[in-house]
Amino acid sequence: MAPRPTILVVEDEPEIRRFLRAAFGVEGYRTVESASGRRGSIDAGTHKPDLAIVDLALPDIDGVEVIRRIREWSSMPIIVLSARVQEHAKIEALDAGANDYVTKPFGIGELLARVRAALRQAVRPATGTLRLTFGDTVVDLDQRTARRGGEDVHLTPVEFRLLAALAKNAGLVVTHKQLLTEVWGPTHERDTHYLRVYMKQLREKLESDPIRPRHLLTETGVGYRLMLDD
Amino acid sequence: MLKRSWIGYATAVGAAAACTAIGWAMHPRFDLVNVAMVYLLAVVLVALEFERGPAIVASVLSVAAFDYFFVPPKGAFTVDDLQYLLTFAIMVAVALVISRLVVSIRREAAAKAALAIEAETERIRSALLASISHDLRTPLAVMAGASSSLAQGGDRLNAEERDALANSVFKQAQEMSEHVAKILQMTRLETGAIELDRDWVALPEIVSSVLSRLTERLARNRVIVELPPEIPLVRVDASLIEQALANLLENAANHTPPGTVVRLRAQQRDDEVVVTVEDYGDGLSDRDVERVFDKFHRGSIESGSGLGLGLAICRSIVRLHGGRAWAERVSGGGTAFHFSLPLEQSPSVPAEPAAG
Repeated sequence: MAPRPTILVVEDEPEIRRFLRAAFGVEGYRTVESASGRRGSIDAGTHKPDLAIVDLALPDIDGVEVIRRIREWSSMPIIVLSARVQEHAKIEALDAGANDYVTKPFGIGELLARVRAALRQAVRPATGTLRLTFGDTVVDLDQRTARRGGEDVHLTPVEFRLLAALAKNAGLVVTHKQLLTEVWGPTHERDTHYLRVYMKQLREKLESDPIRPRHLLTETGVGYRLMLDD
Repeated sequence: MLKRSWIGYATAVGAAAACTAIGWAMHPRFDLVNVAMVYLLAVVLVALEFERGPAIVASVLSVAAFDYFFVPPKGAFTVDDLQYLLTFAIMVAVALVISRLVVSIRREAAAKAALAIEAETERIRSALLASISHDLRTPLAVMAGASSSLAQGGDRLNAEERDALANSVFKQAQEMSEHVAKILQMTRLETGAIELDRDWVALPEIVSSVLSRLTERLARNRVIVELPPEIPLVRVDASLIEQALANLLENAANHTPPGTVVRLRAQQRDDEVVVTVEDYGDGLSDRDVERVFDKFHRGSIESGSGLGLGLAICRSIVRLHGGRAWAERVSGGGTAFHFSLPLEQSPSVPAEPAAG
């Protein structure tokens, strides 16, 4: 295993920083804390963390602005902490380059799962054979083949492209806009109904119980998430 | 209102005509005074039932008809005996006095009704305070108690006890967060602070997402999902509709015995989709069926927890979308909670070439 990953926490509430520091310590992560957005943008440059956690409601500059500043020079994974009433800010943050979000109040288990998925995604090589396994399904994105329970499953080219777009960020949320732009092109970034139709087809072909999917998950109002087997 | 006053005037004319007919039948055998009494009765009745206008019309017409048909010389609007002028005056005066009385009684009744509404608002406000203080204090008390036990007990607590205390702090905090979210949500819905963020949404996805979110809450019930394969897309605010459905399911989980079935259905009916959550609990009384979607209505049989806001939030959300929410009893005990969402013409999705 690589040296201890460093996590930057940009959060103005000291009590929240306190329990994050404790929980990350238990997991073997090193924590760098910034109490403001400006400080956080600078700390991201000087400490070069492996991942950043950014609260959306910061006292000085907007969390979304912090994400934009980091994205100018870095592709480090960013997880956003948002309150329930910030639905729009959350989507804005994801479209600005954040990789995932957790809604306050959250259990630490949920956040740690996101952190693990984001760190794993960051070290995965960008090229090479992309073989996805989840449940009893195996998809080879290079060969364009899919098998479920030993049987060949026919996926259409669009279904493959959609699956590939989700797989690129496996374990993390991908917004409607990101998926639509990637699969259908920027002129279709608002055609959410395309996604509804194709996600339904993918679930029917690849999930054992499409109404209780375990891998092709809906993030209501935000996007979709592909959960692979660990 | 316009329609009602029109009916008033028509009744006034009709009453005068009817009295003339009755008077005509009475006339040879009864004294003219008695015929006047019949007219007076009609004027009183019209004045009691309608506004001042119809009452005056009734009295004037009665006077005219009485004069023309009965008071000598008959067939003319002239009067031989001047004492009949007094009769006419009294008939008009009676109409005025009675309609005035009726108006003031109506005003009083309206004032009383306004007072009753104020009292109801006050009752709801104190119910809110009572439920807030109960439903928020209980988790707070548990959190304060459990966390201080953890802080002070330290090593004297065994691992199992520490886990139990820590988990109960977490659980209660989640519950309280749900309560606070509901109160905020209700306030935002009521003050119109919510703007719908509509987009095309697949109901099965909303159902999946709610079922996964409520796995723990629904663990004691068996949830059967019945969704027709070709259910059309709806153009709604997905997060809000998810909330509405979650509230119906939570309500079912809170009010039914463990092990019972909860049925979740969606059906297209003409130009709307109806989503139904059916439970097999004790069922509701007639009164509860009517009022179960009202704010702070907790049912006549107090059971389970909750602020009594979940269903009211559901209804507000559905109404914002132009739909309805209602409950009905299911034969054999149990209740079906429905909400409808209007359907719009679904946009088309380009077909792919058949060959892969």
